[in-house]
Amino acid sequence: MKINALLLVLLALVISIVPFFTDCSSQGRVLTLQNGRTIPMKCHWTGRAELAVALPLAVVGALLALSKRKETRRFLAIVGAFLGLAAILLPLAFIGVCSSAEMTCKMIMEPVLILAGIVVIAVSGLVLFQSRGPEAVS
Amino acid sequence: MIAFDNVAKIYPVTKDMRVTAVHGVNLEISAGEFVVVTGRSGSGKTTLLNLAAGLTQPTSGRVLLDGQDLWQMSDRQRSVLRAQKVGFVFQFPSLLPSLTVLENVTLPAIFQPNGARADAGQHARELLEQVGLAPKAGVYPRQLSAGQQQRVVIARALFNQPQVLLADEPTSDLDEQTEHEIMELFAQIHAQTRLTVVLVTHTTQLVSYGTRAVRMAEGQILTAADT
Amino acid sequence: MQLVQLARRNITGNAFRSWVVALCACLVAGLALGTTLILRGADSSLRLANQRLGADIVVVPEGAVEKVEGALLMGHTTRVWMASQNLDKVVGVPGVQAASPQIYLSTLLNASCCSVPNMFLVAYDPATDFTLEPWLKNTIGQGLKLGEVVGGAFVFTPEGEQNIQIYGYLVTLKANLEPTGTGIDQSMFMTLETARDIARVSVTMAVAPLEIPDDGISAVMVQLDPGADPQATAVEIMHRVPGVTPIVSSNLFQAYRKQLGSLRAGIGATLGLTLGLSVLLIGLVFSMAANERRRELGVLRAMGASRAFVFRTLLVEAGMLALAGAFTGITLTILVVYLFRTLIVVTLGLPFLMPALSTLAAEVLAGLGVALVVITLAALFPAVRISRLDPAVAMRE
Repeated sequence: MKINALLLVLLALVISIVPFFTDCSSQGRVLTLQNGRTIPMKCHWTGRAELAVALPLAVVGALLALSKRKETRRFLAIVGAFLGLAAILLPLAFIGVCSSAEMTCKMIMEPVLILAGIVVIAVSGLVLFQSRGPEAVS
Repeated sequence: MIAFDNVAKIYPVTKDMRVTAVHGVNLEISAGEFVVVTGRSGSGKTTLLNLAAGLTQPTSGRVLLDGQDLWQMSDRQRSVLRAQKVGFVFQFPSLLPSLTVLENVTLPAIFQPNGARADAGQHARELLEQVGLAPKAGVYPRQLSAGQQQRVVIARALFNQPQVLLADEPTSDLDEQTEHEIMELFAQIHAQTRLTVVLVTHTTQLVSYGTRAVRMAEGQILTAADT
Repeated sequence: MQLVQLARRNITGNAFRSWVVALCACLVAGLALGTTLILRGADSSLRLANQRLGADIVVVPEGAVEKVEGALLMGHTTRVWMASQNLDKVVGVPGVQAASPQIYLSTLLNASCCSVPNMFLVAYDPATDFTLEPWLKNTIGQGLKLGEVVGGAFVFTPEGEQNIQIYGYLVTLKANLEPTGTGIDQSMFMTLETARDIARVSVTMAVAPLEIPDDGISAVMVQLDPGADPQATAVEIMHRVPGVTPIVSSNLFQAYRKQLGSLRAGIGATLGLTLGLSVLLIGLVFSMAANERRRELGVLRAMGASRAFVFRTLLVEAGMLALAGAFTGITLTILVVYLFRTLIVVTLGLPFLMPALSTLAAEVLAGLGVALVVITLAALFPAVRISRLDPAVAMRE
């Protein structure tokens, strides 16, 4: 269980940190408006939104390491699964990343977030499976 | 039930060194006897038991179990014979740690040529009841004391309703009180089922639990007298 | 309790050993599948690119082979020119059934007048073309009109727009080609008429004008008469048309094929090493585990297990771990290769195409098979050794 918890915390770190280095803003690419102002592209906002997934995920991981009751773990696993789903949907549906295939956000950031999200869901599923049944008799 | 005909067993230790565990063993154990074999460490008691169960091949001589020469049959036939006719209680902790107590007791069912009996679970529970451990059916061996584990091993040994029960120093790791309880259990089982029991021990006081005492020293049988 | 159940319990009862074996299986299967996907993906791409071009011979300006291959295969934009009279000379070569000119252009790198930066543009002559026109007639029922374009698989109209802007000119995307995993997927095809119209408009509408020499073409696609010898015809073209290099289609993308060959060799060596090390490691782990479990296995023998049973138990355990590990490795590999396919292409400098589902299924089964065989092989020797051990000896301390 501790390994699962550690994995979730590590994945939270990946989800929070990777966008900082792979979105278009980090590569010096921004949108220039008609009035000359520059604004970040949507991949930047996806990266920021992922922080809202990563932070609770890290908390879920930490709580999982400390919890002993199966019911608590099951609850945390379900929350984890939803966070994993959110991590995937942010770049794919909710906000998105740039469309061009060779931009860093499309080439690296998006796949990393999707993969991390899938692994989070898989790990949460495993925790749910391992926490099935009644509480163990001490 | 068990017969040793001029049996010797020599183990090769290194290329040049050999150890004679037993030699010149002639012994007949009749059905229903409770034989207690005593002797010091290295006297060949465990080897005698292993030979009786067909777990090791004699270097010379014959070992017959229920009239059949154990080493005139294939490994498969010998295994089937063992599964059907022999129950074994070991000196060391022999329960599988990844199985529960109940699962350990029903384990011998796997080796029955006709598959597990339909009431395997029920039968196992009855055996656990008999050894006083019915409430512990769902726990794992690590949660039991040494004495409790040995009771479970006895229940497991009886699962296939064997004709012979072989016990290799079953009480050597136990305290005096528990030793006494285990020996009482053996005596009780023998009295109830009249199966043939061969129990090996270095504690000569335990001879009184059996119907016959056999003393061994340096790989040979010294005396074999009724108790 | 059945043998499989017992094997499962033994697996969960020793987490460390089980994890090591499963991890090895994961690595073996994942690596085998991953390398197969990449190598075969590159192979398929090269083949499809050839097919897509549809030409038996591609005639390009001398010295421009690498640039043209880079454009067609990797989408690296290029502008190469040769005299348009070369077309007539090529048509006159015996063995040539048809010849069609193409002009290679590109959109601007960072200009507001181009929706997509640095995209490879191919302008063709619909009157003589023998690849795209037939495909278009099949797909949309007609050829391209003025202002209409066909895009590679990944060309699209930007969100919220009806057209794509090229040098300030709005073109309509009529259809998309099937994916080839090559630069063609990011290229745009238009008629020469459209290209010249864009050039005309770009003078006033674009940041920088699109320049097309009146008398220039970039390449000639050649279709041979049935039975004509491609090599002989290519040599003849070289003799009759100075300043060009004819590339026979089987030799097309030669530099990439060589690169693929080197990659294949490197990957083959890595894979071989990994397999070998895995077999050794698993053999060691199983040997150690079998030794640790000598007593336990001796107890099973005492209970009536035959040698064959003990042998089967150990192999079933190995097999179950192999399958679990391999399945995980394969799933992860497919995910990673699919999600990071663009990065793979850019890093390796080779095209790549994910296989069709049926091919993928076959490769997955092969990966599972490889892992199963490797693991079982590694566990074989310890299993044989332990099952043959005298039970009495096994149970001794």
